Amino acid sequence: MAEPLLNVDNLSVSFVTYGRSRQVLRNVSFSVAAGERVALIGETGSGKSVTAKAIIGTLPKNANISAGTIGFAGRDVLSMPRAEREALKGTAFSLIMQDPLSSFNPVFKIGTHLDDVMRFADKRNGISTSKAERRTRIAAVLRRVQLADGERVMNAYPSELSGGMRQRVLIGLALLHQPKLLIADEPGTALDVTTQDEILNLINQLVKEENMALLMITHNLGVVRKVADRVVVMHHGDIIETGPCAEILSNPSKDYTKALLEAVPPLYGPRVIDLPRSECAPIVTIKGLNKIYGKRPGYHAIRDVDLTLREGEIFGLAGESGSGKTSVARIIMELSRPTSGTIDIDAPAPGRGRRLTQIVYQNPGTSLNPKRTVKQTLSLPLTSIGMDADAREARMRELLDLVRLPQSYLAKYPHELSGGQKQRVAIARALAAEPKILILDEPTAALDVSVQKTVIELLMQLRQDLGLTYLMISHDLSLMRNFCSRIAVMLRGEIVEEGVTPEVFADPKHPYTRALIAAIPVVTDVEERLKPIVTEEERMRFLVKTTA
Amino acid sequence: MADMKMLDASDRGLSSGYMMWYRFSRNPAAVVGSLILISIVILAVFAPWLTPYPKHVGAVVDFRARHLPPDASHWFGTDKAGRDIFSRTVFGLRVSLLLVIGVLGISVPVGTVLGLIAGYFGGWVEKLITGLTNVMLAMPPLVMALAVSNLLEPTLTNAMIAITLLWWTWHARLIYSVSKSIASEDYIEAARLAGAGPIHILFREILPNCLAVISVKTTLDAAFVILFGATLSFLGFGVKPPTPDLGSMVADGRQFMPDFWWEVLCPGAVVFYVTLGFNLLGDGLRDMFDVEN
Repeated sequence: MAEPLLNVDNLSVSFVTYGRSRQVLRNVSFSVAAGERVALIGETGSGKSVTAKAIIGTLPKNANISAGTIGFAGRDVLSMPRAEREALKGTAFSLIMQDPLSSFNPVFKIGTHLDDVMRFADKRNGISTSKAERRTRIAAVLRRVQLADGERVMNAYPSELSGGMRQRVLIGLALLHQPKLLIADEPGTALDVTTQDEILNLINQLVKEENMALLMITHNLGVVRKVADRVVVMHHGDIIETGPCAEILSNPSKDYTKALLEAVPPLYGPRVIDLPRSECAPIVTIKGLNKIYGKRPGYHAIRDVDLTLREGEIFGLAGESGSGKTSVARIIMELSRPTSGTIDIDAPAPGRGRRLTQIVYQNPGTSLNPKRTVKQTLSLPLTSIGMDADAREARMRELLDLVRLPQSYLAKYPHELSGGQKQRVAIARALAAEPKILILDEPTAALDVSVQKTVIELLMQLRQDLGLTYLMISHDLSLMRNFCSRIAVMLRGEIVEEGVTPEVFADPKHPYTRALIAAIPVVTDVEERLKPIVTEEERMRFLVKTTA
Repeated sequence: MADMKMLDASDRGLSSGYMMWYRFSRNPAAVVGSLILISIVILAVFAPWLTPYPKHVGAVVDFRARHLPPDASHWFGTDKAGRDIFSRTVFGLRVSLLLVIGVLGISVPVGTVLGLIAGYFGGWVEKLITGLTNVMLAMPPLVMALAVSNLLEPTLTNAMIAITLLWWTWHARLIYSVSKSIASEDYIEAARLAGAGPIHILFREILPNCLAVISVKTTLDAAFVILFGATLSFLGFGVKPPTPDLGSMVADGRQFMPDFWWEVLCPGAVVFYVTLGFNLLGDGLRDMFDVEN
């Protein structure tokens, strides 16, 4: 094999925080050949983003490269003078950033962002160009990322574009100078599945056409299967294993990789869990629900929604952002009033300070008050139902046992806990005053898959032990396949399909459901083949207007 | 128990006290600022024992010693009545610190509570409180203070009242914006769902998240209060003679400039020293808490 394009050899990086040094990368070695697609995969804290930053040269000040080399086309990047290294950015390698919104300065037009990058790069290369000439070059780049109406995009402010369009512009930005290596840091993670699917297709196509190499950084194993030839699995700063994509995904040799793969909820196949249907009486009945935000004409967030939740079941409400699923949940929680329609909850009225419904939020980082200990957080609902200090103490111990956290965690503040632990505390808080119905608003969306697995197992156990009814809101259909007994799919405020989960997945009736399922990145080829078939025309119909 | 092992692996958070001390101790501004303030507080509290001529605080006249330049026995020289300026400035610190405690002791809690209420409740309460603060902020502070001191007798208490009337608005406005953004957090809604009343949410959920901002703002404000108080007494609306006050000492010495420069410069330098101390500490606290603005 010839000299690889990118060669990371024995890279060790440590961070110094608060006077303590912490090793974040240990002897990381891997290479990317020209035209090859490599995925760096790992969970939070695995060091995958640090690796990318080390390559690009954007490590924070408190980082220290203690050993190793990064070779690009045979030259050591780390020993280069600063100016020379700067010049590599954009031309040798480019980065596609994760968040398509925060990567743009909201007060500048898209065209200005692109023009700035091009102008400075031209200046560095000693070429003087006119604005008009740069504009035609930019339009050409935008066409390459399938933004047809380049003129309109250039004159738009970032907030005027959809997430998918912004992500495309970011890719265009990375492509401006024909880089040899494209580094993508979780592209599409912040987007809806159907849009993410489009973005991944685009990246694939571009890499092939331009003969670029791709270094994809992701936590999603499904994404890996779609865009990588070779996979590097990282965990706590070490490389666990490296190998061809198909081999790692189908037959991993290391336990960690196996556990990681097992934690991914399957969409089809023998590993899928079918939940028994509940035959109990309906506990929540929603009829003719409408919600209009704002005054005439207003935004019609929910249109004529009818729903029934049976006691003891896990009902899934699926949909992409803006579909109205969270609005439905907030109305059930009595956090907002419906414009029309009725909600009946068929349960005896709860006692003083108690509620029939409680909620577990998506992001445990923002749903726990950072200045309050676990004990303070948990004692609040217990005080409201009139418990005295001793009873509270006993109940808190019980709650921590329920969510399987050690008793010593009562004294901890949220920042001392991991994401999964915080979510457990949030679940304990929701359960404290014994609600009947728990609304789960994407409860694992902010967690790693292995943590997701344990949280989901916990929720299943709790439902069984406490006889709860769950309403799960999510966009993650593969998770819902294994967690919900019935499912409804929402699109632009309407329920377009509803049914028993296995039936919906085996034979989705509505084309939107088919498009959604088809867009989910799956881990095995078998699952890919079992996905419903979607025509190109159907796919484009439900895509959030990306190129309009 | 794979589950438990994973829990322990992530359990390596440093205590927030350690992190704050680390940031504080490595911030020269904060350390110097707090040393300055400690020295000021010690001087002010123990003034009668630390000054060479504690009697000179009163109506002492010693014409033989008038307008002496700084030397070993009179570090800052003497004034027109022959009183030791060093002793008087140290006692003047007491007045300044009392002013800070009095003004901020009232305006910070008042401003904080009003800001919290306006930010959390919204609606007409918000309109009323922000409207009131905007009206107050539109008045030129010096004119307002002079008007109040003019109406009432020019004493320390009245100067305090005048400054306090203005000062709470700045805090109300700052805490209002912080409280408004915190009020939209998930954990506030979660607390409401857990049955918390407005008092609990305001003072147990939102207030703790404002403390960093409040302490930074209060420290920086202390410097301005001292300057403002000095300005008032310089203009003759502060403490009555013979009680020493930094502002009025500068005013008294002004007529003897430039011949007896120490009579203006030394009390002026002390005002500078105190103000600098509060400002450095305020900046240091800001870095320590990572507060923006």
